[in-house]
Amino acid sequence: MNLDWSVVWRNAGALVDGTELTVALAVLTMLIAVPGGIVLALMRLSGSRLLTGASASFVELFRNLPLILVIYTAYYVMPIAIGVAFSPFVTGLVALSLNVSAYNGETFRAGIGSIRKGQSEAAFALGMSRWQAMREVVLPQAARRVLPVLASTWVSLFKDTSLVSVIAVGELAYTAMRIRSQTFRVLEMLTAMAAIYWALGYPQAKLVDWLHRRLGVSE
Amino acid sequence: MELDFSPVIESWRFLLGGLGLTLALSVMTMLCSLVLGGAVGLARCYGPAWLRWPLVFYIDSMRAIPVLVVLVWSYFALPIVTGFVLPPFWAALVALSAHIAAYVAEIVRAGIGSIRPGQSRAAFALGMSRVQTIRQIILPQALVRMLPAFGSILSVTIKDTAIAAVIAVPEYMNRSQTLAGESFRPIEVFMVAMVVYFVVLFPVTRGVDMVYARLAHLGRS
Repeated sequence: MNLDWSVVWRNAGALVDGTELTVALAVLTMLIAVPGGIVLALMRLSGSRLLTGASASFVELFRNLPLILVIYTAYYVMPIAIGVAFSPFVTGLVALSLNVSAYNGETFRAGIGSIRKGQSEAAFALGMSRWQAMREVVLPQAARRVLPVLASTWVSLFKDTSLVSVIAVGELAYTAMRIRSQTFRVLEMLTAMAAIYWALGYPQAKLVDWLHRRLGVSE
Repeated sequence: MELDFSPVIESWRFLLGGLGLTLALSVMTMLCSLVLGGAVGLARCYGPAWLRWPLVFYIDSMRAIPVLVVLVWSYFALPIVTGFVLPPFWAALVALSAHIAAYVAEIVRAGIGSIRPGQSRAAFALGMSRVQTIRQIILPQALVRMLPAFGSILSVTIKDTAIAAVIAVPEYMNRSQTLAGESFRPIEVFMVAMVVYFVVLFPVTRGVDMVYARLAHLGRS
């Protein structure tokens, strides 16, 4: 077995570009999926049967589908169904956003639901309106419980961005696998890819653990 | 746009075979991860101190690396290291088990950690040994508390097997791609795939919730 690790250094520029795209994809997805999740949670809690049903169906659908299938479907079906062909990057962004919005919707709903009823009842007793009680009493407490879960979702999302490589989005996994097939340096490139994901993901996983310890509710 | 499902209907045997492989891979991965993850989780909680940091390193590394990367590495790079080529299905089983076992180990640790120390103190006060305490007092309560998390791991496993399509395991996702390419009917093929995965996954998530609702009281202390 002869190994030539110089292939990694020679292609460092491309790997850095791929890593940047991975980070950009994760950040953009989260920027879309947090408001998306809030909208889904508010719909779910609105009391209107139509909105509740729509939100619940959306969440259950995307939580029960493999992400890679959503990505393929977005890639093949969206251009025909909507008639607009997006770039692979935008297609991947749409698929990831749909998936993460569903998870965030559940997170926000559970966070708001976990605040005992007595809290808002006490707020009403003090003469607060429904909106005031929500904003000043329930949401600040819910935020504390939601934050660690959102952080976990972020870590999953960061890893899941690798799946859009199947529709040729030039992020880290795609770039590394492309260089692998061009140079035939399989072990070196795949190990470098794993190492880069590890170096980026490991501190994030540790940070999430810390957030859970710091903000977690123990009973 | 008109839909034509006849290519899907004509290939039902092909797709059903893929679904069988998806389920087989899911069940085998789940069993292997439970055994491996259970061992790692227990060793982390009760094992010797020198063993703990390599186990924590393994768990945290698996949590940091995407499952796609683990799959691709096991299939393409592992044979170069070991000199032993695994067929796609077995490479996928190894990769998915190694990945999911880390999550199982975390669940086991969290479950054991959630049992109040008063429980084991009471057991020691009754004269039970360490092994007896773990087996008869801690684990029975902890297992019930781990149940919902294992349920979500099961659905994660089924979803992750779809990623094995990337290394050409002919499971449902892979066969859907093949069929979509051959029939030029990607919309119909992927719509059916969405229905199939949903029909498999939804009862799993719901079923686990229902089972847990009936057993939750056994985990209280």
